[in-house]
Amino acid sequence: MVNIEMRNATLGYGRTIVLRDLSFQVRPGEMVGLIGPNGCGKSTIIRALSRIIPPHSGKILLDGQDVTKISRLELARLLGVVPQLPILPSAFTAFEIVLMGRNPHLGLFQYEGPKEMTIAWQAMEKTGTQSLAERRISELSGGEIQGLLIARVLAQETKAILLDEPTANLDIGRQIEILGLIKNLCRQDNLAVLAALHDLNLAVQYCDRLILINNGHIHAEGTPKEVITAENIAEVYGAENCVYTHPSNGLPCVLLNAGDGKVAKPNDILKEA
Amino acid sequence: MNITPPIHFLRWRSRIYGILGLLVLLAAVVILATAIGSVQIPFLTTSSILISKLPLVELTPTWAATMETIIFEIRLPRVILAGLVGAALAIAGATYQGLFRNPLADPYLIGVAQGAALGAVIGFLLPPSWHSVGFGIIPLLAFIGALVSTAVVYSLARVGKTLPVTTLILAGVALGALLASIVSYLIISSGEKIHGIMFWLMSSFSLSQWSEAVVVLPYVLLGVVIILLCARPLNVMQLDEEQAQQLGINVERLKLVLLAAATLITAAAVSFVGIIGFVGIIIPHAVRLIWGADHRFLLPLSVLTGAIFLILADLIARTALAPAEIPIGVITAICGAPFFLYLLRRRKKVIF
Amino acid sequence: MPSKLRILLSICLITFLLSGLLVACTPSATEEPTPATGKADLPIEVMDQAGRLVKVSEMPEKIISLAPSNTEILYALGLEDKLVGVTEYCDYPEIAKQKPQIGGFSTVDIEKVVDIEPDLILATNIHKDEIIPQLERLGLTVAVLNPRTVDEVLEAINLVGQLTGKAEEASRLTTEMQNRIQAVTDKTAGIPEAQRPRVFYILWHDPLMTVGSETRIHEIMEKAGGINIAQDLTDEYPKISLEATIMANPQVIIAGSGHGSSQDMPFSYALTEPRLAEVAARQNNRVYEIDADLTSRPGPRIIDGLEKLAGFIHPELFKESP
Repeated sequence: MVNIEMRNATLGYGRTIVLRDLSFQVRPGEMVGLIGPNGCGKSTIIRALSRIIPPHSGKILLDGQDVTKISRLELARLLGVVPQLPILPSAFTAFEIVLMGRNPHLGLFQYEGPKEMTIAWQAMEKTGTQSLAERRISELSGGEIQGLLIARVLAQETKAILLDEPTANLDIGRQIEILGLIKNLCRQDNLAVLAALHDLNLAVQYCDRLILINNGHIHAEGTPKEVITAENIAEVYGAENCVYTHPSNGLPCVLLNAGDGKVAKPNDILKEA
Repeated sequence: MNITPPIHFLRWRSRIYGILGLLVLLAAVVILATAIGSVQIPFLTTSSILISKLPLVELTPTWAATMETIIFEIRLPRVILAGLVGAALAIAGATYQGLFRNPLADPYLIGVAQGAALGAVIGFLLPPSWHSVGFGIIPLLAFIGALVSTAVVYSLARVGKTLPVTTLILAGVALGALLASIVSYLIISSGEKIHGIMFWLMSSFSLSQWSEAVVVLPYVLLGVVIILLCARPLNVMQLDEEQAQQLGINVERLKLVLLAAATLITAAAVSFVGIIGFVGIIIPHAVRLIWGADHRFLLPLSVLTGAIFLILADLIARTALAPAEIPIGVITAICGAPFFLYLLRRRKKVIF
Repeated sequence: MPSKLRILLSICLITFLLSGLLVACTPSATEEPTPATGKADLPIEVMDQAGRLVKVSEMPEKIISLAPSNTEILYALGLEDKLVGVTEYCDYPEIAKQKPQIGGFSTVDIEKVVDIEPDLILATNIHKDEIIPQLERLGLTVAVLNPRTVDEVLEAINLVGQLTGKAEEASRLTTEMQNRIQAVTDKTAGIPEAQRPRVFYILWHDPLMTVGSETRIHEIMEKAGGINIAQDLTDEYPKISLEATIMANPQVIIAGSGHGSSQDMPFSYALTEPRLAEVAARQNNRVYEIDADLTSRPGPRIIDGLEKLAGFIHPELFKESP
């Protein structure tokens, strides 16, 4: 059981500060959504958590340990990342890519044995990507590749998972499938999951808690109902009167109305939250 | 649902067969190349001489001493050295290509060749009394030149704790150009010493001796072993550096280790025979076309293919227009390029 | 600092290298030691022209020449029966072309040489760095001929005579050569500088190359009573600019020509280059052609070259030799 924690962390690149004095936690068994406008620093947070960039100040802790103090291999065993737009070598097959997820568990001289193969294979089964196994990366679509990346992080068998826009290219069916899968695993295996999501409705539906980032700090944190409010959305995104209540489960949902750019009148059937 | 993973398509079996097959082919090519030369020696005699040199084998010589000298002192060291250099350049090329994730990378990309050339030319220009330091000041200085120029490029390209790959390439190309111009200048003003320098620059395996092969061997062996150990991490490195780090690879350390090992190999290879082009860039690609890009197989297959290729190229170089010798760089280009084009056309698939 | 690591690495490797070279002693295949004959053979020890001590324990019966000039010397001393290997450029006398060929200009087919089992190999300076160590490792005897002056050419001939038991013939030849030199210099030594023509020797036309003061060609030009316009250049075969040539206004131009179809190009160039039309040599029709082998090869025929040059430079004193 692994805890993801950021304590008073200030993050940036070189001299540019992107986020100041950030503190939050993701506990085992909970799925936290990271939301905010473009460029607010979601990817930066994910990079900092996976020790790609060092924090300018403050601490980043995984399971109570400072991530800058543990070895990369150790870190990779605890934390898996699904990146947003990764470069994948086009000459490898899908299965080989998923198999790479086993790397943190293999020593220098070890080759992937039957155990590793089976784990990777099962990961592909869970994500519905088995049919792609023999195909080369160059032949796959963006959505298929995204499925593979999820399979890879599952094969990595970590206790904490970071996802950076995991469903951006997927159709609605696949979105439900993948996020449902992640949610289930989160619950079953007590994983700490942090997902940066663009789609606010998905975030609301699948995440236990949301963290809304704006202007370099946390604008709001809490349950979806607490965070997705008309004020928050208007303040952060500048979109007025977009928050309604989902007819099926009472969670907030965000609907936009193109209109002529002005605020739309509330519909009688859907009441404002 | 399917429980057992269909690993047959990982093609491990066919690749392992490939390695074994190439090992046998290498042995055959070594014997073939040793049996052919400008002096006719019956094949049986060649085989007998070679067998008699194996440890624990006692054969009473039925052949002339000159034949034994030719086979064992002239041809065999040449063949062995050609094999070592071919293997070294091929695996160094494959490593650079994997390290830089760039199909155009070759062992000379970051200035190794020019550094070695500069060292060699300086060695030639030193007074003759220096020349007999050890087995020769020229290979020593070439070796040092190669290492030093790589070290300079490495320090130039470093940004904080990271080594951005594109910066490394640019620094290498720039330094290489600078060194090459210095070399040209030195050659022009070298006067009568130009013979020796041109001989080295023209890259030939003639006059190869056992002492040269013996010195090159440990460096190549060490470098090859290190690189082979890093094969799996090198696979993971084909993802971008961020992902590789997220999968537990210490990217900076891996870069340093691979760079050092590949440079060591290249420096050893060029120090005695000068710069032979084409092998380092094309052999890894040819291997990829046939056997795929998994470095655990790509690297050893490159070693074997590179050795076989250069031994055969050297054989052609010394027999095609006998008694004249064609510079081996010409052979590698003439023979290699069309073959590679042919492979590319036959297998129109993505290789990188 | 990362550089520290690299420096450390480099030092380790260099140490490795140096120790490697200590370990790497190659036992060379021993040539069968030639059995001592009944005769009392004095081992001949001679210092060759590279400062090497050459030891010959028996009269050489099989000699290989690695340069055309060496071949000419061997023929001049009557050693053609013992000559068993020549280069592909050994073309004088004609019959030398029929000898087995074992190499080119600076390349030597070591296998063939070993197969022949020569008792003596006559090499030149070019072979010093790479080929001679290899030959010696294989147990062969090599003597280097490297005459830089005309006197050293005579020395070289005597050297070969000593090594091959033809010291008498060599002495006769060199005396004759000496006499012929004398015949020329007697007439030219007294000529004052004002009456020595300025001579331009074209080695090659593209790039324009001539001979510097450290060469034999320069020496025989001087002996022939001329002044080399490039005498201030110390490089052996320097490039000279057309401007400098025109400025120097040579009174005599001599072009070295080889054999073969395009080999007289320096000569045609000298005759046809329009920018040279105003120099004295062209104005007075004093552009000559000479067989380059007579001037370049450090062998017996260099005296022929001298005599021919004398005829070109001072026709009033010498009749051109046919």
